[in-house]
Amino acid sequence: MVGAISTPVIIEACKKTSMSDGSTSGSGSAGTTASTNGTCTVAPTETEGPFPTKVPASYVRSDITDGRSGYKMTAKITIGNINNNCAALAGAIVDIWHCDAEGNYSEYGGTGMQSTNYQSVHFLRGRQVTDANGLVTFTSIFPGWYSGRATHIHVHVYNSAGVSLNVTQIAFPEGTGTSVALVNGYSKGLSGYTYNNADNVFSDDKTGVQIAAVTGTLTAGFDLTFKLNVKA
Amino acid sequence: MSEKIITICYRKIIESTNTNPWDKFVHEDSFAEFKMQTQFYNQENKYSSFSQLLINVPGAEKLHFLVGGAIIGYIQQLKTIIPDVLDNLGRRFLTFENFKFEIINSDINDIDKHKIALNFFSKPLILHEIIGEHLLISLFTESGSEEVFTNLFKLQPFVSIHSIKNLK
Repeated sequence: MVGAISTPVIIEACKKTSMSDGSTSGSGSAGTTASTNGTCTVAPTETEGPFPTKVPASYVRSDITDGRSGYKMTAKITIGNINNNCAALAGAIVDIWHCDAEGNYSEYGGTGMQSTNYQSVHFLRGRQVTDANGLVTFTSIFPGWYSGRATHIHVHVYNSAGVSLNVTQIAFPEGTGTSVALVNGYSKGLSGYTYNNADNVFSDDKTGVQIAAVTGTLTAGFDLTFKLNVKA
Repeated sequence: MSEKIITICYRKIIESTNTNPWDKFVHEDSFAEFKMQTQFYNQENKYSSFSQLLINVPGAEKLHFLVGGAIIGYIQQLKTIIPDVLDNLGRRFLTFENFKFEIINSDINDIDKHKIALNFFSKPLILHEIIGEHLLISLFTESGSEEVFTNLFKLQPFVSIHSIKNLK
């Protein structure tokens, strides 16, 4: 049950005014205060509860698939600290997000009447905190592609206090036998695909420093590994 | 009157004066996420308020969506029951699947300026009758025609009919 989760939350640290660490809470619940309503209506007459509990940001999860179908991909990202000879940076917050097999992101407009099922709306987005080896691991699907961009994963690294250290993107290796060739753009194919050397983000990366190592097969799934060094 | 299928929207406002523990958790955690997510849109650290970001930074409206992602765990704690809105028996009765998070105002330097809205959209309901100030409704089901259990409730501030269609 989600409500029972109570984890030490790193994210807490970046709060300006942090209150309880919230493994438990007082009484009251979402439903029992008719907060906005000074008008003449009935008073609440219900058993108190369920008792709210403090939960980590919903992004904190290793499996970010949320029911999206595609070839399985495990992404192992290691964060190093440039200010410490690129040694492993523990306790860093790592956000990743990427598009689904069709090339769509989990985003909707900020305005209008649109609403979405809250259970799945933030698909293919996740957050992990690096371990002692600077490593985070995500389970996801191999990203699709969309017009104008090579296959990529967005990464945002924060320190443990939530201060932004780096925003970047991870590229994929190309050519015969690579994951990009095997997946073949999913149902779109690769006609019109933008390769790394024509991509407006990756084309200046002449040494391949932004390109991950990706191994695997369609049936077994793919393993992506990437080392990202930040100034912490 | 002819019966209609409606959905109800409740826009729950949360700000720093809210005292309910659940409200406070949502307020604090969405503020923490706001501070994290704005950094991408504020890389030169020129802005502090949400409105400045919206006016000056292309794509900053995505912050509604991006910040909202942080508090889904609290929405799950509601177990599909819309909070606060009571029927005439004093019970919560509206259920939801769809939801939208909205930042009304915020400022990375001042949690007291952080004000958000949670929009809850009810599952489809049949509006049977309007009795005085009250709506008589029941949960819409495909099977229909048998005796159904109903709820009587009065529209209150921040509660509105979101959509309507005739029941054939």
